[in-house]
Amino acid sequence: MSAAQITFDRSAERARVAAERRRLATIDLVITLATILLALLIGFLVMLVVGKDPVKAYQALLTGPLSRTLRTGRWLEDATTLIILGLSVSIAFRARQFSLGAESQMYVGAMVGAVIAIYVPMPPVIAVILPLICAMVAGFLIGLIPGLMKAYLNANEIVATLMINAVVFRLYDYFLTYVFTAPGAQQIRSEAVQPNAVLARIGDIFKFNFGRVNTGVIFVVIGVILVWILLTRTPFGYEVRTIGANEKFARYGGINTKRTIALSFAIGGAIAAMGGVHLLLGVHNRLIPGMAAGLAFEGIVVALLARNNPLLVPITGLFYSYLRVGGDIMEQEAQVGAEIVQVIQAVIILLITAQVLIDLVKARRARQTSQ
Amino acid sequence: MEQALQVIFSASFIASVLRVATPLILPALGGLISELGGVSNIALEGMMLAAACTGVLVSVYTKSAWAGMLAGVAVAMLLATLLAFFHLNLRADLILAAIALNILCSGATTFVVYLVTQSLTGSGDKGGTSTLISQQMPFIEIPIIKDIPVIGTIFSGQNILTYAALILTALVALFLFRTRIGIHLRAVGENPDAARSVGINVQGMRYLALILSGFFAGLGGVFLSMGYVKFFARDMTAGRGFIALAAVYLGAKNPWGTLIAALAFGAADALSIQLGNLKIPTQIVQMIPYIATIIALVLYAVVQRQRAINRQRKFRQAV
Amino acid sequence: MAEPLIEMRNITKIYSNGVRADNDVTFEVRPGEIHALVGENGAGKSTLMKILYGMEKPTSGEIMLRGKPVTINTPHEAIALGIGMVHQNFMLVPSFTIAENIVLGSEPLQSGLVNSRKAVEATNALGKQYGLAVDPTAVVDSVPVGMRQRVEILKALYRGAEVLILDEPTAVLTPQETIELFAAIRQLVKAGKTVVFISHKLREVKEISDRVSVMRDAKMVGTVDTADTDEERIARMMVGREVFMNIRKPPTQRGDVMLKVRNLEYATEAGVEALRRVSFNVYANEILGIAGVEGNGQTELVELIAGLRKPQAGTIELANHTIAGHTPREVRQAGCAHIPEDRLTNGVALTSSISENLIVDRYTQEPFTRGGFMNPVAIRDNGDRLIEQYGIRTPDGTLPVGSLSGGNMQKVVVARELSSQPKLLIAAQPTRGVDIGASEFMHEQLIRARNDGVAILLISADLGEVLSLSDRLAVMKDGRITAIFSDVNALTEEEVGLYMLGIKQQTEVEIEQNL
Repeated sequence: MSAAQITFDRSAERARVAAERRRLATIDLVITLATILLALLIGFLVMLVVGKDPVKAYQALLTGPLSRTLRTGRWLEDATTLIILGLSVSIAFRARQFSLGAESQMYVGAMVGAVIAIYVPMPPVIAVILPLICAMVAGFLIGLIPGLMKAYLNANEIVATLMINAVVFRLYDYFLTYVFTAPGAQQIRSEAVQPNAVLARIGDIFKFNFGRVNTGVIFVVIGVILVWILLTRTPFGYEVRTIGANEKFARYGGINTKRTIALSFAIGGAIAAMGGVHLLLGVHNRLIPGMAAGLAFEGIVVALLARNNPLLVPITGLFYSYLRVGGDIMEQEAQVGAEIVQVIQAVIILLITAQVLIDLVKARRARQTSQ
Repeated sequence: MEQALQVIFSASFIASVLRVATPLILPALGGLISELGGVSNIALEGMMLAAACTGVLVSVYTKSAWAGMLAGVAVAMLLATLLAFFHLNLRADLILAAIALNILCSGATTFVVYLVTQSLTGSGDKGGTSTLISQQMPFIEIPIIKDIPVIGTIFSGQNILTYAALILTALVALFLFRTRIGIHLRAVGENPDAARSVGINVQGMRYLALILSGFFAGLGGVFLSMGYVKFFARDMTAGRGFIALAAVYLGAKNPWGTLIAALAFGAADALSIQLGNLKIPTQIVQMIPYIATIIALVLYAVVQRQRAINRQRKFRQAV
Repeated sequence: MAEPLIEMRNITKIYSNGVRADNDVTFEVRPGEIHALVGENGAGKSTLMKILYGMEKPTSGEIMLRGKPVTINTPHEAIALGIGMVHQNFMLVPSFTIAENIVLGSEPLQSGLVNSRKAVEATNALGKQYGLAVDPTAVVDSVPVGMRQRVEILKALYRGAEVLILDEPTAVLTPQETIELFAAIRQLVKAGKTVVFISHKLREVKEISDRVSVMRDAKMVGTVDTADTDEERIARMMVGREVFMNIRKPPTQRGDVMLKVRNLEYATEAGVEALRRVSFNVYANEILGIAGVEGNGQTELVELIAGLRKPQAGTIELANHTIAGHTPREVRQAGCAHIPEDRLTNGVALTSSISENLIVDRYTQEPFTRGGFMNPVAIRDNGDRLIEQYGIRTPDGTLPVGSLSGGNMQKVVVARELSSQPKLLIAAQPTRGVDIGASEFMHEQLIRARNDGVAILLISADLGEVLSLSDRLAVMKDGRITAIFSDVNALTEEEVGLYMLGIKQQTEVEIEQNL
């Protein structure tokens, strides 16, 4: 066989491999879409059974967020937070670490950001950047705690992050009640951040009613690019991915696995803190009670649907918050509880994580193509 | 301060610890069984919530607390079976599937409560069932004991499920260490291949571990809405399913250790309620058990490491 | 001729991924015999035994027990039929006691509860009956490997096994333990049991078995009486061609000391002594072989040098840099490459691409990382070059390593480690679990590296391999170096065997002279 022929065979093989990859990616996409449809169908049936009008409800759910600019605004505002959280979670997940700490990291970020944004006078731009940086450093440090516990002490990270969430939530509540809230104030909430620190509302800039969508969406763009570069184009990303694939191998190859694992928690923490700053400077413009409640799990779902791929996180984040916001609109317009959306979400997660169903579909497809 | 100490050492405080700890002990026992079976159940939270809701609603319709309890526990076990099916048969990731169940239960309970309150009272209430008349599990005065000072205050007049929690701890210990099935369950959790090689049904044991954890979570949930209080409130479990899991770890994955850990969590909670009346920030007190768990996790690891170093050092001296 | 106890007729097993593990295999065992089943890795012997033990279902074929057809769907059914199996990786629950492990699955009951006293008594009685001494109340985690194996055998006997399948039982044993095991096997047979002994150590097969069945490429090659054959003939049946153990190795002049190990001491985290006062040198241009039965401290020695463990005392110098207690990366940067013992679990990441697997030791260096960012083109080019150079059979370096065959995964490890241009190469059990073709590849590569000036530390339990590859040879026993020989050509397998078994050992002065 001549050298030229070998090269030829190699490139033909490569084309075959590439085609196979495209095929698998298409199947993945089809399965994801089918899963969503199935989940919606189940929701449809539930409504039918309990005597609601499912058509009207779904009309509200599926078109609601786009029906008015205010609603679209709510959707994009919610998506911003969810995407940032999804990015945060995807880093530790890539290293096969189940970090559930995003909630505490958001609270810490928001608190630290608030101290500066409320009390330190600053010129424009700096007034946003400085609280952001300080919050991210704080998020990094609070994320580092479970990271160090897992990496160096082999403590169960699920329990560790849940405990830290519980502690931080109460700390937040304590500081908000006794420190941030002015004595004698009517409501438990902090003072507003200084005008310079506010992330401008996009609706205000362009003079239309766009809710609380703000320039914080830039965080998303920057976050996606940063996390993508971090995971795919830096030695740290290589370390994270290699540990996720085989931790023993990573250690044998010379990777400082403990440091990388600890850092994967911490960097996730910094990004989650970014989400906290978005809530603080962009959405509420102050600290309010229970600001980030339950969001950590939502971030996990977004990352899961995106298969921990930072480039897909925006898509799944937009989709997921579309359902969340659509659910609220459905409740207003069709008198169907928004909670039905949670049921739909749960069904989607269950079906997407059910590996056997996916394998079944793939095996079936493979059989059909071979025939 | 003096006032605070008085509170802690009063019999009624200890009685309240038992009461507050009950919805932690029960799910913690479930968490323990699932951990030892090698299938960590982080959906205890959702299962509790579903049971709490079902129990109240069934008791509203049947006017029977016992029927409510049975239905609540049955629903929790059903959810556990669903989780087991998705994980064991459809190979879904256990943690992610459990997160899905938690979301499902939070949504579905609110949805159902709204529908039921709407159909019974005419105005739907998402917040809970306070507008409905539900039943409560009986509280039991123990003859003789109830008349002994201090001890009577502590141990008599508790809800039947509080007694059940204590008795079940002993039964779980007996089950795990002295019965065939319990030993098989632990063997499966520790080395499934070994268990399989001697003919133990590994899949069956994992199903059992999850379903039993559902049973205990269900009892805990029923106690919350039909013992601790007499209504269902939205998301009323408030993280107890996760705290229960922490109690398993703090208790070194042992039934008695888990009981003590759950009681400690309960004590901190009860204390914060009491101190709240004295205008001491409740958040600080409530934090204590969580910080204790974090410290315990760290200490446990440090002690293990130190032991290994000592063993290695002993060898050095022998050389 | 006795009527067969077990007959497996025309067994074929095709896995769902299309691999044909057993192809029309017929195998019979007579009552009361010790029957050795030999073959290379992947020849199908383990699958055949798993079918007999109910762990795998045959695609076609039938099993007869005492002349009657039986179907065995689960290990439970096999046990009920009197078939027991001792697996290579023990099937024990580490935190349970020995007695608890032995009775696991059929615990003695008393009024519904498990009676642990009865379990202890039963364990003692069984142990006495078959000469297998164990401590029933000890926790499995804390007892040595030899005892764990006895626990496994007792476990099968407790369940009433008449036929015992032993899957490579000596792989993890010291010579002394092997002697004890063989004595126990003979006693079992005397007591009327039947033993199937899976192995590829032909010397042991020759020593212990009555008959030998040989498998190759999923087929049964044949069954012979052990007395009528010899190791070489069995080997020929296994590989289908003459085995050339003579490796051409041009003479070289050894260079400077590359690795200098002095008085290395190590105890595991469980406090078990692993290494005592280990000292030796490895020079450039030479292969220092370390012979020894597995489990005599070789694994710990390798991991200490590679930086995966920290010694309690002693020094390790690589090219005059001290590396003891340094991290794996520092050790690698000092010039150490390492072909690990468990290559498929430690040497590759199955879901990562081939190219990414090939840079795990150098991804922080130029050109792979430049200015803090990784360079995908350099990673890809490096992958393509090594795939070409080492003949790794794959269409594309971006495919996951898991898509390769076992032999090609080995090549990925070798390609990475040798292409790092090491000063020292540690090769731990380089041909274990490898077919003949891949073994030859491995041997060629080691010799080529030696000729190019690399210092090679070869650890192997295969005496033939160390003797034919090494320039110098050290023997490890019970965590010590018990002998170092400067001239391997003058040695015979028998001679080295005596040192491996601890029957002979050199004086400290002799060892000192040959460091």
